[in-house]
Amino acid sequence: MRNLGGVKNLRRGLLVAGMALLAGVVVRAKGRPAAVPASGGWRPLEGPDLR
Amino acid sequence: MSAVLLVGTGQVGVRAARQLVDTPGLERLWVAARSEDRASAMVGALGDRASVLSGARVGVPALPEGTTAVAVAVPDPEAHRWVRAALEAAVPVATVVDCGFGPLGDEARSRRIPLVTGCGLGPGLTDVLARHAAADLDEVDAVHVARVGAAGPACVEATRDARKEPTGEWRDGGWCPVPSGGPELLWFPEPIEARECRLVHDGVEAGAAAVPAARLVTSRLGVPPTTGRLRRGFGRDPKDCGWGAARVEVTGRRAGATRSVVYGVVDRTAVVSGAVLAVAALGLAGDATVGLAAPTGRHRLGAVTDPVPFLAELARRGITAAAFEGVAPR
Repeated sequence: MRNLGGVKNLRRGLLVAGMALLAGVVVRAKGRPAAVPASGGWRPLEGPDLR
Repeated sequence: MSAVLLVGTGQVGVRAARQLVDTPGLERLWVAARSEDRASAMVGALGDRASVLSGARVGVPALPEGTTAVAVAVPDPEAHRWVRAALEAAVPVATVVDCGFGPLGDEARSRRIPLVTGCGLGPGLTDVLARHAAADLDEVDAVHVARVGAAGPACVEATRDARKEPTGEWRDGGWCPVPSGGPELLWFPEPIEARECRLVHDGVEAGAAAVPAARLVTSRLGVPPTTGRLRRGFGRDPKDCGWGAARVEVTGRRAGATRSVVYGVVDRTAVVSGAVLAVAALGLAGDATVGLAAPTGRHRLGAVTDPVPFLAELARRGITAAAFEGVAPR
C-alpha cells in the first residue's frame, strides 16, 4: 500500500512539474519583446565625418 | 622609432600584436605572457621584429631596454602588476582594464608618466565616439553608452560580474544609485540589431570623463555569451561567437534645437579591443598622427583622445564606426 502511495505522489509531482514547465514556456514566449522597427539606418563614419 | 612591450596572449593580445607588428614605424615588439610557450608560438607567427620577454612571471618584472610604451591586454591582478612595472621603468602604459587604478594613478602622476586606462571597445572606443558625438552639439545634456559581446573568457566573466553590481548613473558630477528597472531593448548596427541591455556601473566614469559637460551619463551591458559546455549548445545566437557591438547616444542642443547623435560600431570584440589598445600604445610611444595626447598621470582613453585622427586611424585598420540617421529607437 505504501508503495502505491509513493507512485501516486510521484505522478502528482511529475504532473505539477510538467504544468510549471508549460507555464514557463508560455510566459517566456509571450514576454519576449517585439522588435520595434528602426525608422532610419546606419551609415559608415567616413570622409567628412572624420575631418 | 618605437618599441612596444605587449602583455598578454589572449584574444585581445593576439589582435593587438598583429596590429602593432603591422605598423611601419614600429622597430621592436616584445611579448610577455604567463605561458612562455604560447608567447613563443605567437611571436613565431609575427615575424622578425617580435620577440618574447622571458622570466617575468612573478614580482615586478624588468622591462626590456629601449621600451617606449607598454600595452597591457590582461585582466586584474596581472594588469596592475604590469602597470606598476611600467611606471617603475618610467615608460608610458596603456591598458584595457579601467578600474582600481587609484594608487597607481597617484604614482603615475608623481613619477610624471602617462597611464591610459580603458583602452578597449567599452570603455574605450565608446568614449572616443561619445566625445566625437558631443563635438557635433553646442550643448550636451546626456551620454548613453551600451555594449554587447565579449572578447574572451576573462571578458565574459567581467561582463557577467558587471551586470550583478548595484546599478546607477552619473548625474550632475557624481555617482547616483538608481534601481535597474529591468533590461531595455537597444538597437545596434547590423548584424547585431536589437538587444536587451541592463544598466551597469562599468563604463559610467569613463563616459563622464570623455564628455565632462554631460549632466547625465548611463552605461548598459547586454547579456554575455554563454560559455558553459551544456548551455552553449542551446538557444545560442551564432553572432554571440565573438561578435560585439557598441552604441553611443549623446543628446543636447544644436542651434537652439534638441538633437540626438547616435554612433555605433560592430565587429569581433577582440579585434576592436586589440586595435584600440594597439593605437593607444602607438600614441603613447610617440606616434603623433593617432590623436592621443596623454598628460602625465592616469587618464581614461576618451578623455585624452582627439576623436577625428583616432577614428581615422582605426578606420585605416579596418575598424569603421557608423552613424545612425533617422529617429533613434531606444
